[in-house]
Amino acid sequence: MPDYKKYTDEKLVEHIRKNNKELFREIMRRYEDKLMRYATYLLRDYHMSKDTVQESFIKAYMNLFGFDISKKFSSWIYRIVHNEAMNVLQKNKNEIPLPDHDFKDDTDIEMEIEQKEMKQKITHCLEKLPVIYSEPLALYFLEEKSYEEIGDILRLPQGTVATRINRAKSYMKHLCQKTQRQ
Amino acid sequence: MSKNPKTITNEVMDRIEKGKITMRPRIYFVLGSVLVFVGLVATVIVSVFLISLMRFVLRAHGPMGQYRYEALLASFPWWALILTCLGLVAGIKLLRHYDFSYKKNFLVIVIGFIAVVFAAGWFIDATGLDAIWLQKGPMRGIMRRYIDNETKKIPKGGRIR
Repeated sequence: MPDYKKYTDEKLVEHIRKNNKELFREIMRRYEDKLMRYATYLLRDYHMSKDTVQESFIKAYMNLFGFDISKKFSSWIYRIVHNEAMNVLQKNKNEIPLPDHDFKDDTDIEMEIEQKEMKQKITHCLEKLPVIYSEPLALYFLEEKSYEEIGDILRLPQGTVATRINRAKSYMKHLCQKTQRQ
Repeated sequence: MSKNPKTITNEVMDRIEKGKITMRPRIYFVLGSVLVFVGLVATVIVSVFLISLMRFVLRAHGPMGQYRYEALLASFPWWALILTCLGLVAGIKLLRHYDFSYKKNFLVIVIGFIAVVFAAGWFIDATGLDAIWLQKGPMRGIMRRYIDNETKKIPKGGRIR
């Protein structure tokens, strides 16, 4: 039996399309945590994020034949989550509460606390940024996506992505300094 | 509700296995792409035709005297102008469906699209290609009807061109 865990996402999709439905579990295993983190960052609510990610996986499965296998699957699935999250944000304008869920890393407690504090500071600053700046910044630093991938996810030219990230950095610097002084 | 994010996988897999969620067939996406492409081509053709028709009407009325200006306004095919605008908007929306569109500056694509449509309309009218449309093209009915109506308004011995 082939070791599907070594397969690329795109190869897995090819097999799922050939009626090997069970392999979709492997796709979800690879992306569930990443997408939850991304959705939680956008929506700042665990339950809404869970529903969004679940709905995104369902849409991805239903539209699997619409995915161009020569492109990156990760950009495609992130794009679906982005669209779903934007729809949720539209529906729930002014109703987004603060985060109530955090994801743990496998590091020691001291490091974890330090990281948590740092993360809280960054999240606090990020929250104040408009979403057009904070989203590419989060994708770049938190999700470690390249400019090209961010462009594919947000449907923006790479030049615009670079401009927004640079502006976001300047805003962040300004906002974080302001927060520290308070 | 459990806070374990792993339940998403189980929930989705459960629905897939029970057949509650199924993949849309490949033909659905092929047809979708074909229809978008056909729609885009159709909007370009219609817009180009309408622009060449408007240029034809402007030329048919000659230099702008007050009387001619009023006559032009009275006989100008406003429906063609509205349809052209709608066609351009539809064409731009359809262009957004294509993968390359977001990689370029969208404003450049929009300006380029409108410029191409206007340039093609001018070219068709200037080279007399609209005569072919008039005789054989898909729009011959519309163009013929417009010219027939205009001809009826002109007194005997008058010229429209």
